[in-house]
Amino acid sequence: MERRELIRFLMATAGLKCLDGFMPDELFAFGVHVREARQSSGVLDAHSRRTVAIAAERIIPASDTPGATDADVVAFIDRMLADWYNPDERDRFLAGLRELDQRCRAGYRKDFADCAERDQVAVLTAFDDDVSRRRHTGGANPNEHWFAMLKYTTVFGYCTSEVAMRRTLGSWPRPTRYDGCAPVGARQG
Amino acid sequence: MTGGWAAKELTELGLRTLVLDAGRPIVPNKDYREHTPPWAMPFRGLGDRQTVARRQAVQRNSVTFDEMSHQFWVDDVDNPYSTPANKAFHWFRARQVGGKSIIWGRQVYRWSDLDFGANLRDGIGVDWPIRYADIAPWYDLVERFIGVSGQTEGLAHLPDGPFLPPMAMNCVESHVRDRMASKFGRDRVLTMGRVAVLTERHNGRAACHYCGPCHRGCVTRSYFSSVNATLPAAEATGRLTLMPDSIARHLVYDDQTNRVSGVLVLDARTRETREYTARVVFLCASALESARILLNSATSRHPDGLANSSGQVGRNVMDHIKWGGASGTFDGWSDRQPIGQRPNGIYIPRFRNVTTRHPDFIRGYGFQGGAGRAGWEAKARAPGIGLAFKEGLTRPGPWTMSFGGFGEMLPRPENRATVHPTLVDAWGIPALHITCGWSDNELAIHRDMNVTAAELLEAAGAKHIRPDARGPSTPGNTNHEMGTARMGRDPKTSVLNGWNQSWDVPNVFVTDGACMASSGNQNPSLTYMALTARACHYAVDALKRGDL
Repeated sequence: MERRELIRFLMATAGLKCLDGFMPDELFAFGVHVREARQSSGVLDAHSRRTVAIAAERIIPASDTPGATDADVVAFIDRMLADWYNPDERDRFLAGLRELDQRCRAGYRKDFADCAERDQVAVLTAFDDDVSRRRHTGGANPNEHWFAMLKYTTVFGYCTSEVAMRRTLGSWPRPTRYDGCAPVGARQG
Repeated sequence: MTGGWAAKELTELGLRTLVLDAGRPIVPNKDYREHTPPWAMPFRGLGDRQTVARRQAVQRNSVTFDEMSHQFWVDDVDNPYSTPANKAFHWFRARQVGGKSIIWGRQVYRWSDLDFGANLRDGIGVDWPIRYADIAPWYDLVERFIGVSGQTEGLAHLPDGPFLPPMAMNCVESHVRDRMASKFGRDRVLTMGRVAVLTERHNGRAACHYCGPCHRGCVTRSYFSSVNATLPAAEATGRLTLMPDSIARHLVYDDQTNRVSGVLVLDARTRETREYTARVVFLCASALESARILLNSATSRHPDGLANSSGQVGRNVMDHIKWGGASGTFDGWSDRQPIGQRPNGIYIPRFRNVTTRHPDFIRGYGFQGGAGRAGWEAKARAPGIGLAFKEGLTRPGPWTMSFGGFGEMLPRPENRATVHPTLVDAWGIPALHITCGWSDNELAIHRDMNVTAAELLEAAGAKHIRPDARGPSTPGNTNHEMGTARMGRDPKTSVLNGWNQSWDVPNVFVTDGACMASSGNQNPSLTYMALTARACHYAVDALKRGDL
């Protein structure tokens, strides 16, 4: 009987007495029901997908660890727009993408996706500053600003992705013990 | 929770026992989701917001409701209830085999006579018909079976039990405990949470491996639930029959004998009805559902519901008041962080109205809480983009400690559940109208939680101390609703006697939260389980004597 099947059988019949000696990945194979990512039709057209993918990469770039593109953040954002956000939130986000292109055309005579990287960063930073200003002046809900939505979904989609959890954050597989005062950077397993 | 205990005790004592559960069976390998990684969830843990808003608008308010656990909570559209417009009440239900034991918080704390004697002392509600000495052996029995890890403290008003080794505190929790001890001595004690999660192998179940989200399931059976422990024990006797998808429509009352002869069951899937007969019936449907069954068992002879000559069925709804407390940050230990997801926090037992009277309120509250370092979730809205922002996401934030209180609620007859005149659930069964609001005593307790939590953090040297700004919790939100068929000494003012037995109909027992004459501040499930085990043994003796 293959090892995983044996473990499953033992657990189902309550014959398993001790979990010592299992690698974390084996342990976490139980109760995992990995689904194929539902291929929602999404709401982003090709131009918007390109815009969002590049913006996400500027927010969380690849370095010695993966970036937003490696984590396919744009697919997550598209699904959120299609299935999670309300229609008014979706409209606000899409209007924001149009505003992003308008600002780039006004400043650099190109859509955001076609601008130089340095210019893309400058424009996104200006929107980020708009959000920060809202936070400090206590104006309209800053989290509802389209750029705050883009940044939050980028961070969320990145930090819950397999590549980031395994390689950037080191938070998967989860440790199988508790140590309340471990050195930062200690091996998690 | 209590249904599983009744099944275990009654079958082990020799009775053939039929367990009727309104919901579906739980198959651990299929239904448990605690190991699902975020990227394998459709919404990465944010939940199916649109569907939840339509179908589970009330249930989503619970702290253990999330993308993976939502399947263990009822559909609100199929299971409606009403409240007065100005008195919101969150009624959480868990309709599957195992009920709330699948999604509970696992915190377990004994009562003492400070709690059992409170109503008599304060002249409030009715006197409990039991005291700690009556229930202590049953606390022992339950804790020995389920496995409770905790730290013995020798506190009279938080009795110790046969604990498995306690879980570990982290750096800041240990520091706060020591600073509190030097300032407050034994008056305000910080201890490790007492929790129904195994820290070593116990009764064939594996020790916890700290993966975190118990409320999504536990294939290693490390936390206690009916599915993990008591139902298998009942099954092992060969005397258990478990019928899921079986809604108890009402109890069937026999006029001639003044006994319940059985239960009318509605099949949840086919809507067919069937009647099952029994010599004894234990109601363990959860407090408001058990009351609802009794009220819906009304007949021409009992127009106010069965077992309700006192008029107290449905009355005296209590929950615990929450959303009082504080948090603060700690400099230091920047080179240390916790590893693993501990399914437990620290506990500060009640220190108000223990030895001295507080001027503003009677009874008291306990604190739960813990310390940790902020992760990426806290930095998601930080300013900046690019490499520096990314690096900020990966660096642990400062240590933060927080305390959240659980406050006692007084029993009041105007806090009550009645049968709605027209509203029915998806199976045509009359729904409840629930009226429940906090009194001045609970609100004073809530205000004091903010004050003392800040005092404790200050004593420990915390900075940026912020009291909980949410205001009092919504009644019901703590998921500890109880009191709707209370025990007492007098059939005129209580529904059950000291054995959880109906005064009116001797072969009906109610052992879930409905039976509580007062609420205490402690998480109540341990007390429900102990009362259930005790009542089962009494019922079997009474059967043998021919009294039932």
